[in-house]
Amino acid sequence: MLLTLALALAPLPAVAHKVIMGVFPSGDRIEGEVGFTGGKAPVGLTIEVFDPAGTKLGETETDAEGFFVFTPTQPVEHLFRTDLGAGHVAETTMSAADVSTIIARSGADAAAATPGAEATIAWTESAQAASAAPETAPPASSASGIACSPPQVTVAAVTPGEIDAIAKAVRDEMRPLRREISAYKEKNDLQTILGGIGYIVGLFGLGFYLAARRKLKATG
Amino acid sequence: MHIVDGALSNPVVIAGAALCVGGLAQGLRSLPIDKIPAAGVLSATFFVASLVHVPIGPSSVHLVMNGLAGLVLGWAAFPALFVGLVLQAVFFGFGGLTVLGVNTVVIAGPAVIMGIALAGPVRRAGPQTAALLGALCGGGAIALTAGFVAAALALTGDAFLPAAKLVFFAHVPVMVIEALLTGAAVFLAKQVKPDLFDDLQGVTP
Repeated sequence: MLLTLALALAPLPAVAHKVIMGVFPSGDRIEGEVGFTGGKAPVGLTIEVFDPAGTKLGETETDAEGFFVFTPTQPVEHLFRTDLGAGHVAETTMSAADVSTIIARSGADAAAATPGAEATIAWTESAQAASAAPETAPPASSASGIACSPPQVTVAAVTPGEIDAIAKAVRDEMRPLRREISAYKEKNDLQTILGGIGYIVGLFGLGFYLAARRKLKATG
Repeated sequence: MHIVDGALSNPVVIAGAALCVGGLAQGLRSLPIDKIPAAGVLSATFFVASLVHVPIGPSSVHLVMNGLAGLVLGWAAFPALFVGLVLQAVFFGFGGLTVLGVNTVVIAGPAVIMGIALAGPVRRAGPQTAALLGALCGGGAIALTAGFVAAALALTGDAFLPAAKLVFFAHVPVMVIEALLTGAAVFLAKQVKPDLFDDLQGVTP
């Protein structure tokens, strides 16, 4: 009876109180999210960042929605760790390759900041000038996944500022989607629950069989 | 209620695993053949009960139903709850495989303590008194579990009192709900199948 009651109640709030934590590259920074599945986001939670050797690289705090931002300075694997209290600890890592891409991008951005404006003007004027222009601008734009228009076209190229704005808009649009996907991954559907119960029935059936056989042997 | 991987220091994890193995051995020895189906049903109840959530602040707590398992099964609650915990770790990602031993001790330990303490009185009492005792068992098992969790965290380095307070108060709603559920279950079982609590020592296999 209790089992049926629990089963009947289960599908409604079928969310775990598991801690989820994820990090992803966001321009020249690492953006992350932490929270309980099905629960509210922890505000002002301290996230500590370590390198593979266990040296602390820094720390950051979550905002009102459970997001946090960290600017990496060293191209090593980053380990993000937080303690939500009462035995809830979350850990996640970002590989050294991802981190160095982010650092390279922030370096490129800094380098492109001044010559970027010149390059734009150069493209509108002539194709030759563009090829002679500093090489920092095209990698910055291609890294953001936006195809640069060929220099022959007179339309002005996208400025680094615009690229940043577009990348930011895309990230903002993606954020709810990302959150929805991570929530979906944590969903326990009826199949999983029934599968687990099936395992229990099977295991105890096996135990019953073994116990019964032993008993029969003892009597026979 | 489930302690996750990485929250505890290695000595605590190892000690938990050792205690868990001892409990499992004792539990399997005291599981008579006619209690195996009951153990299976209670294991499944525990497995599913963890999906019923009560939101508390930023976190949420879920039902455990270890008191009822302890009351009906005694020491045999150890293997029953262990199976439930393994499957929860594998299917839902609750807890983790390395801390399985600690989690088993933390959840099955209180079940066994409350069960052994109260099984005798429940067997002798009438349905109403038995329901009250069952409620005490359900709520008490959760309170003890909260204490055990806090103790495991304290052994790892957290200060015991704040951790214990946090875990305990987070589980007050669960205690109330479990006390009601266990009381109701015991009341029903006492009326329709009173021998459920009888052969606790059971026929030896």
